[in-house]
Amino acid sequence: MKLKGFWRQNSTFVVLMVLLILLIPLGWITMGQKPFVRTVLSGLTLGALYLMVAAGLTLIFGLMDVLNFAHGAMFMIGAYAGWQFYTNPTFLFGLAPLVFALMTGLAATPLLRPLVIGWPVPEEWQRRLRTFLILLAIAVGVIGVLGLDLRDLAKTAMVSTMVAANPLAEATPQEPLARFWLRPTLLLIAGLLMALAQARPGDQTQIVHRAEQRRGWIALLALLALTVAAVLVREPAAIVVLKMNANWRFALALLVGMLIGGGIGAVMETSLVRPLYVRPFYLVIATSGLAFVLKEVVQFLWDPLPYQMERPPLFAQPGKADSILDWFSAQTTTVDILGVTFPSYRLFIIVLGIVMLLGLLGLMRYTRLGMIIRAGVQDREMVEALGINVRRVFTLVFAMGVGLAALGGIGAAPFIPVEPVMGDRFLMQGFITVVLGGMGSVSGAAVGALLLGLARAFGDYLALKFQLTPAISEASTVIIMAIVLLVRPSGLFGKKE
Amino acid sequence: MEMDQQPTTDILTVETIHTYIGQFHILEGVSLRVRRGGVTVLLGRNGAGKTTTLKSILGLTPPRQGQVILDGQEIQGKRAFEIAGLGIGYVPEHRAIFRDLSVAENLKIAERRKGDLERRADFIFDLFPDLKRLYKLPGHHLSGGQQQMLAVARALVADNKLLLIDEPSEGLAPVLIEQMMEAIRELSATTTVLLVEQNFIMASQLGEHYYIIDDGRTAHDGAMADLIHDTALIRRYLGASAARVGGEFAARSEQRRGG
Amino acid sequence: MNTTTSTSKTRVVTGRFAAWAQQQVGGLLLVIGLILFPFVFSWLYGSPVDSGPPKFWQGQLIVVFITAVYAMSYDLLMGYTGILSFGHAAFFGGGAYAMALFLAHVAPRIASSYRIVGPGGVNVTEIVLLVVGFLAALVVSLLLGLLFSAVSARVKGAYFAMVTLAMAEAIHILSKATDFVRWTGADEGLHGVPVPAWINPIQFRLRFYFVALAFAVVMYLVTRRIVHSPMGRVFVALRENESRARMIGYNPAVYRSLAFVTSAVVAGSAGALYALWTMSATPTMTGAGATVDALIMTILGGIGTLFGPMLGAALMELFGHFFYQWFGARWPLVFGVIFIALVMFLPYGIVGTWQQRSAQLRALLKRASQQRRQDPSDS
Repeated sequence: MKLKGFWRQNSTFVVLMVLLILLIPLGWITMGQKPFVRTVLSGLTLGALYLMVAAGLTLIFGLMDVLNFAHGAMFMIGAYAGWQFYTNPTFLFGLAPLVFALMTGLAATPLLRPLVIGWPVPEEWQRRLRTFLILLAIAVGVIGVLGLDLRDLAKTAMVSTMVAANPLAEATPQEPLARFWLRPTLLLIAGLLMALAQARPGDQTQIVHRAEQRRGWIALLALLALTVAAVLVREPAAIVVLKMNANWRFALALLVGMLIGGGIGAVMETSLVRPLYVRPFYLVIATSGLAFVLKEVVQFLWDPLPYQMERPPLFAQPGKADSILDWFSAQTTTVDILGVTFPSYRLFIIVLGIVMLLGLLGLMRYTRLGMIIRAGVQDREMVEALGINVRRVFTLVFAMGVGLAALGGIGAAPFIPVEPVMGDRFLMQGFITVVLGGMGSVSGAAVGALLLGLARAFGDYLALKFQLTPAISEASTVIIMAIVLLVRPSGLFGKKE
Repeated sequence: MEMDQQPTTDILTVETIHTYIGQFHILEGVSLRVRRGGVTVLLGRNGAGKTTTLKSILGLTPPRQGQVILDGQEIQGKRAFEIAGLGIGYVPEHRAIFRDLSVAENLKIAERRKGDLERRADFIFDLFPDLKRLYKLPGHHLSGGQQQMLAVARALVADNKLLLIDEPSEGLAPVLIEQMMEAIRELSATTTVLLVEQNFIMASQLGEHYYIIDDGRTAHDGAMADLIHDTALIRRYLGASAARVGGEFAARSEQRRGG
Repeated sequence: MNTTTSTSKTRVVTGRFAAWAQQQVGGLLLVIGLILFPFVFSWLYGSPVDSGPPKFWQGQLIVVFITAVYAMSYDLLMGYTGILSFGHAAFFGGGAYAMALFLAHVAPRIASSYRIVGPGGVNVTEIVLLVVGFLAALVVSLLLGLLFSAVSARVKGAYFAMVTLAMAEAIHILSKATDFVRWTGADEGLHGVPVPAWINPIQFRLRFYFVALAFAVVMYLVTRRIVHSPMGRVFVALRENESRARMIGYNPAVYRSLAFVTSAVVAGSAGALYALWTMSATPTMTGAGATVDALIMTILGGIGTLFGPMLGAALMELFGHFFYQWFGARWPLVFGVIFIALVMFLPYGIVGTWQQRSAQLRALLKRASQQRRQDPSDS
């Protein structure tokens, strides 16, 4: 009885795994040990990267029915953010006070609400007032950043790649604090104006929650402190980070890249995506338009050149370790695995992918948020009817999905060129992965990524063998997708409709 | 303290609400007053607007005009989760439980405060003993009747003063309908229930007060005891089979009175 | 009594006729204006028709005409049948590659061994070859349309969009694969396609201009005919309510494939003409960017209006031109921002919004006139 139930639930998974395991001896014998192991390993690396893109895509689609065409751009943004932070964080630290200041202002929304809903604003003027406030906020914000030399700030990392021997060699001249502090102040005001608009002056139909008030104060004060700190440490922080142990700096870069991605995701959901949920066609355009704009912005800041980020020293000592255990002490560039010399950094990517997958599965399985997401994938309306603020969950999931893509980007940065178009290919493969696995399913995305990664790696191997280009194997992954969809129209693990 | 002060006898007042779905004008002026305690029944044909009325109260399909007043507070125009948070439980039609979640998770997700489920577990398992046995199973393993019970149970986890229940008898076997009826009667002792029901037997036995919705308007209302005698009215709004049932009831209750 | 009804009837009839004529006149005026454009422009500018700015602007308009047909074919799919396909570039590029490959690799061989000269020394072979090339493009896009609809027959919604996207991407990758560099020129694309001399867009720009204009007008009329035919109504029914269309007895799969293939053929013919215009076929024509262009033009102009997407195509080309002059290399950035704003704040596109506004205005006028008519009776 229990076994039957298990089989009914997991038959696809079991069959696939058995098939893959059966294929191992076949590959081993026909290809020979070394090529086989190498191909499997590079397949796993690719699969891990695909997973990082696909996990967010599948969650965002499953819960919100949004095909996020900006996901590839987020992967790219993550790569740039991580690269900047690792190589020379001056740009990020220079920008942080402004972003934090704006956020501080916005965080005042719940606190302003009880004050302003009583304002005697006639109903027909409420909308106009809000529009006016937002326009004013934009104007103040623009004045706040006017004359800020973003491009020079952005170039700092490029310079330091050139003088890699001593990243501290050039102290980037920045605006003196005596003048700079005006900018965060203006942005704080812009944020407050926006918060005022969001608090909807005169609109008495809103509920004021006590708990929200207290939390609002805490958030506001914390952000204010963060802003002040960011203003003060704007210049020294970059130097502190650069003097840090490079491995820790890399770990921090992973975190920072993910957080930046998450922040962009949250902003994107609340501003761009939310008004368009009712018009899915437009959502496609808006997200692909955003991807386009982001690519252009990155080109503007860093030129369309490809950059190569250095690997952290943990994976950069010359030589080859004889085993993974050996690598822990030697920290070499390559590791010997079953007779194959394999870059140790790629092993790290595989591990990162697995850790991320386990974390995500745990989150979905054991937390209340995961429970709400799983319920929401099936029936959003009912979740809302239970008293859960689904909109906030949407924002959270969007931020999480984009954060994961950004994490993938910074993870990939040390071994693929960092360039504006780097996200496009991963977006494509991410979509195929999600379609293979079934939209809305995390485990489906994992299996899809595994299949697609292996297919790509073996395809490349075969293409090389028959003197074809890798392009053929890339195109042929589409055939796999077509076959799967002909058999199961909603992917391997998708819900049947 | 709060127990002592009894506000108005109406827990929910709906004042001529108009609701649109897309271009379609679904509700063209529905008005209701739901008294505190007991079961009020919404009757009407398929497509008359009963489900939309429930959804409009809850804010899932917000009304464009009219008022919805819960316990003296205007709630129209608020977001659905805010309205639900004020103490409304919703049991949608078609047994809409979360099929991928286990029974335990289906209940747990309805918690509004930590520990809600623990506090209410005894009450819930008293009403639906089956659920205790099925606690760990995923929702899609449940039979239709069990799913419906889970859907009702889910609305009981949080402290709700009003339950909106949409067609709990739909597609259930007669034995299960009996059981469901018993459960609703029991829980209406502690909360107020606004029930949409096509099954006239169930509706007439549970309800004390009724409203008939027809073509998006409140067509008629009164005490259920009067309705079952009015075969013509029933036939007009609810169809011949309901009228037959009503006639039988009337006859039976007459007999009972006679004997 | 009798006279009043008859006059009101004639008023209705004349009103309807006037409305019809007004609509047609608008279109006719536009076509006449476009026919006269090269001459008027060269007269205003004071330089000959076949050189300088007049020639340049003819070229711009040729691109507009071709992309307008391409955008319109996308509207047939998205606006009328409600199919969100991300593979449209495959049809456009497929048509372009079919034409270019035929002219570059097949046609010269045939032309060198056969040569038919018609009356007055007209080279009939070239004309025949061009027609055959066009037919080849149509057949290729037809086959692609069939392939796409066969693979995606069972999938719906977002899966459908993804499948079409992936298949188009596969074709894009193949079009730039170095394996076929001898035929396709891989990344570089196929350049210097030997276009028959009499339609060469560099030598006979004006002739090409009229060919492209005629092409756009004919394609518009054909597509409008399709949309208003019984088949077109089934397309719309599928968009509105698939299960109802199925219940009435139309097989959604069949009609979806029909819509797909029709749209593919129209897009393919536009691609073929585009290959003649650029005398090349490049991977950008099959890339996702080309699909996004179609999507943008359709949404900019207005979904489900046929003419809207054509207008959208014109605006896109002109914006592209002027933005490049104003903002230099950064123009895509400005364009992207403006475009996102348009999507957010102009949800029905230009033609759609205009139709809505004019409907509102008409309703307002009607109410006003009714009031005026009622007023005397009141007093």
